[in-house]
Amino acid sequence: MKNIRNFSIIAHIDHGKSTLADRFIQLCGSVSDREFKDQLLDNMDIERERGITIKSQTICLPYQAADGREYVLNLVDTPGHVDFSYEVSRALAACEGALLLVDAAQGIEAQTLANLYLAMENDLEVIPVINKIDLPAAEPEKVALEIEEDLGLEAERIQLCSAKTGKGVPELLEAIVKFLPPPEGDPDQPLQAMIFDAQYDSFRGTIISCKVANGQVKAGDQITFYSNGISHKVEEVGHFRFKKEPAKALAAGEVGYIIAGIKNIADAQVGDTITLKDNPCAKPLPGYQPAKQVVFSSIYPVSTEDYEDLARAMEKLTLNDASLTFQKDSSSALGFGFRCGFLGLLHLEVVQERLEREFGLSLILTVPSVNYHVYLNDSTMVEVDNPAYYPDPGSIQRVEEPYIKATIMIPERYMGAVMNLCMERRGVNSNHHYPMPGRIEYTCELPLSEVIYDFYDRLKSLTQGYGSFDYEILDYRAGDLVKMDLLVNGERVDALSQLVHRDNARARGLSACEKLKDEIPRHMFKIAIQAGIGGNIVARTTVSAMRKDVLAKCYGGDITRKRKLLEKQKAGKKKMKTVGNVEIPQSAFLAVLKSDEK
Amino acid sequence: MEQNIGPVAGPAGLYVHIPFCLGKCSYCAFVSWPCRRPPAGYPAALLSQARQLAALPWSRQRCFTTIFIGGGTPTMYPAAVLNELLAELRQLFAISPAAEISLEANPDTLRPELLAELRRGGFNRISLGVQSFTDELLQKIGRRHDAVGARQAVAWARQAGFANLNLDLIYGLPGQSRRQWAADLAVALELAPEHLAIYQLTPEEETPLGRAVAAGELVLPDQDLCAEFEQDARRSLLTAGYEHYEVANYCRPGYACRHNLNYWHNGSYLGLGAAAVSCLAGLRLMNVASPGRYRRLLAAGRAPYAEAEALGLAASFRETVIMGLRLRRGLRLAELEQRFALTPRHYYGTILDELIAQGLLVMDHERIALSERGFALANQVLHRLV
Ligand SMILES: Nc1nc2c(ncn2[C@@H]2O[C@H](COP(=O)(O)OP(=O)(O)OP(=O)(O)O)[C@@H](O)[C@H]2O)c(=O)[nH]1
Ligand code: SF4
Ligand SMILES: [Mg+2]
Repeated sequence: MKNIRNFSIIAHIDHGKSTLADRFIQLCGSVSDREFKDQLLDNMDIERERGITIKSQTICLPYQAADGREYVLNLVDTPGHVDFSYEVSRALAACEGALLLVDAAQGIEAQTLANLYLAMENDLEVIPVINKIDLPAAEPEKVALEIEEDLGLEAERIQLCSAKTGKGVPELLEAIVKFLPPPEGDPDQPLQAMIFDAQYDSFRGTIISCKVANGQVKAGDQITFYSNGISHKVEEVGHFRFKKEPAKALAAGEVGYIIAGIKNIADAQVGDTITLKDNPCAKPLPGYQPAKQVVFSSIYPVSTEDYEDLARAMEKLTLNDASLTFQKDSSSALGFGFRCGFLGLLHLEVVQERLEREFGLSLILTVPSVNYHVYLNDSTMVEVDNPAYYPDPGSIQRVEEPYIKATIMIPERYMGAVMNLCMERRGVNSNHHYPMPGRIEYTCELPLSEVIYDFYDRLKSLTQGYGSFDYEILDYRAGDLVKMDLLVNGERVDALSQLVHRDNARARGLSACEKLKDEIPRHMFKIAIQAGIGGNIVARTTVSAMRKDVLAKCYGGDITRKRKLLEKQKAGKKKMKTVGNVEIPQSAFLAVLKSDEK
Repeated sequence: MEQNIGPVAGPAGLYVHIPFCLGKCSYCAFVSWPCRRPPAGYPAALLSQARQLAALPWSRQRCFTTIFIGGGTPTMYPAAVLNELLAELRQLFAISPAAEISLEANPDTLRPELLAELRRGGFNRISLGVQSFTDELLQKIGRRHDAVGARQAVAWARQAGFANLNLDLIYGLPGQSRRQWAADLAVALELAPEHLAIYQLTPEEETPLGRAVAAGELVLPDQDLCAEFEQDARRSLLTAGYEHYEVANYCRPGYACRHNLNYWHNGSYLGLGAAAVSCLAGLRLMNVASPGRYRRLLAAGRAPYAEAEALGLAASFRETVIMGLRLRRGLRLAELEQRFALTPRHYYGTILDELIAQGLLVMDHERIALSERGFALANQVLHRLV
């Protein structure tokens, strides 16, 4: 156990965590050149396409240190985007140490701070690492000063490296062995292992990722889940090498996987403690703080027959993504589906994409909303996260909405633009200070509903990529909110309703109408699109009738091709949702929230 | 014996594809290769395939009532080659004496002598790819002739004795105005062709024009403007006495293109040449697209097919319906029932009622057809029936 090091790589988004993990994997010789590809641990399609890490990934590396001893490094590559900080906190709970990466050209960013605090909460030993020192714009001395003064970390500990060129990486491996502590734990105690991730495999059932705190587990053992008492016989245990590598046993301090023929998805829960049936532990390990969902949206299958498939897919996905919540929902426009809670908009997009790709579903997501506290005239309070269930305005005394404290780090020159953005979004109590000359840490209190959609994207574009953003939920505050409905040819589409601030209602209504107009294809009749509050129409627009839709010419040589084009057109229609007699494409439901500021 | 069975089993068409042009138009997605001179060995390959097909009992039971030599640009070849090809086909197949024998031609390859010779060789219908009479637009889409050349070609064709002449016109060209289109229509009418094929430019993905449109470098007239173009054409041609007999085709009474009518009736035909399609006995066969491979396969005595498709009865019925609805008069119900033992009423059920209620489709005891409105919105009907 003395030779084990369990650690995470944490940082702001894009500071090079996954690239550094690549270098570690190569230096430890864990993967052949043929199998190697950049950002090896980002193995989901969405991660590779977007170039970001979404899920934490564990890999176990054998390392021969300068002291001549063989070490086992369990490294966890974590995501940097704010939406996935829950992934970081789960990873940290399985570690004793962390490498905090800071981009040598960008310096400390919002998630650098946020993730450092997470590491501190978990009592981890932290090694600050300045990465990307190969960049021409790198300013390692300046960044080192920031680390020392702003983060309060020891200057002597700071490591310099380039994950891209590999410079400084061997020294970093030595520092890991030297500065990070080995796990504690007693192999002779009853088994106590923490489930920190899980994945469903249709052949082998749930594959559990766990860290053994005490005791040991091996094939043939009867394990029990602490929370529900359900037992299974272990079929296989092993380590996460480049592939899963079976092992005789997992002992205290080790990280690995357990396969135990678990076909019932609900049995194994992330955060639960595993023990042995015959020799149970006295108490469970401290679980995870449940993730706090802040954005809510309903997911419906485009074709109503797919509801059952969606239900199964949701179960399997939540096993692998413990931060997602769901419960049944229904809509007059869309039929049966699920109301889901997400950690942010990117999380929502990722969930939609994973459901579509991994489970072959075609889905509609409704306009995202936050959770409102609605106080009724009889002084009771109801929580509403779905505008479709907003109570009758006559019965409402007041409404409160969640506020956040946003922390935005920017070079000084973008201050004006960022302040404007925050004011547009009803920001209050703004504050700023200069952690370093030329850099500003700007804080501001904003209604969460104003940031969920495209705040981060807008910030990125206003600051040409230099702005970073983090937030924490503050409290609930009263707001003058009204429910805005959208009507398509006179018919209210419940899935498009949203709560908006009264002052912005008209502008929002107009922009939503325009967005819908762009999304809804021309039909054979004119389509009126209206935004209404109560009985009043505040904005309207029309999709004019289709005038021409005909294949230019068709002769003998291309009958087959023309037929296939028509078949494709027919299939395309199936991907739309018919409301009244209007076909609304999937994308329209999310598009209405997008703001059109350039 | 089978050998002696004469043509008994209904009419059929014969298509010959010449996949060569002097250059490549920027919107062209047809199977056609640009070259200075077309390969000398290609006509021989056409004849080898003709012999293969002529040997089928199916072919020997057919009387061919139309021949169409299209492309590409068939007139890349000298008249003698084309006449010889025609003569050989007459030897191999039973060609009806009154057959419509069409030739497609591009103005960039025409001379008066060539046209006269072709007429003497037996071609009795000519189809000219003029596309537009506005030089600026012709250049934009990479055509290799101008308005003067187009008029000249028509005059020469008339002098040569072609009494059945088609002009192809395109609208929806980049930057085209209604005024320009009206002028094109006026010139076309002045030339008094028996037949006009008028269609909207389609920006096909794999063409330079399609890519420029997709990249936003080129803007085509929008749907509303194209609807105006279409109406302008319809109005002036109907006034001038033409019939709008198919979605994209107009003719003087009695001059509908019989060869193409056979396609819209989903009839039988043989296709010779690279990428040509044959449809016989419920089977559709497509030849390989590369002229080189086509020649090599035939030289080796092999069949030149790349793909085959055999549709089931219901699929064939649907296809026949969507093809037939392109015709102004639509389909005869009795004929459909006789061919497929299916009727639209039973087969499509309520979809049919919806389309009729929407005013896109009309049906009486005898026929089913698109309404006038349905003609412009044909895909909205056809994709529901496909
Ligand atoms: N020049 C240079 N580029 C680097 C270095 N390390 C990483 N990069 C580049 O920075 C970008 C982001 O690297 P990743 O490894 O994906 O960053 P990450 O921290 O894993 O990002 P997230 O997982 O999305 O939070 C990639 O384009 C890398 O090639 C470095 O040392 N030098
Ligand atoms: S003339 Fe016709 S076949 Fe030849 S390149 Fe132009 S469009 Fe294509
Ligand atoms: Mg990463």
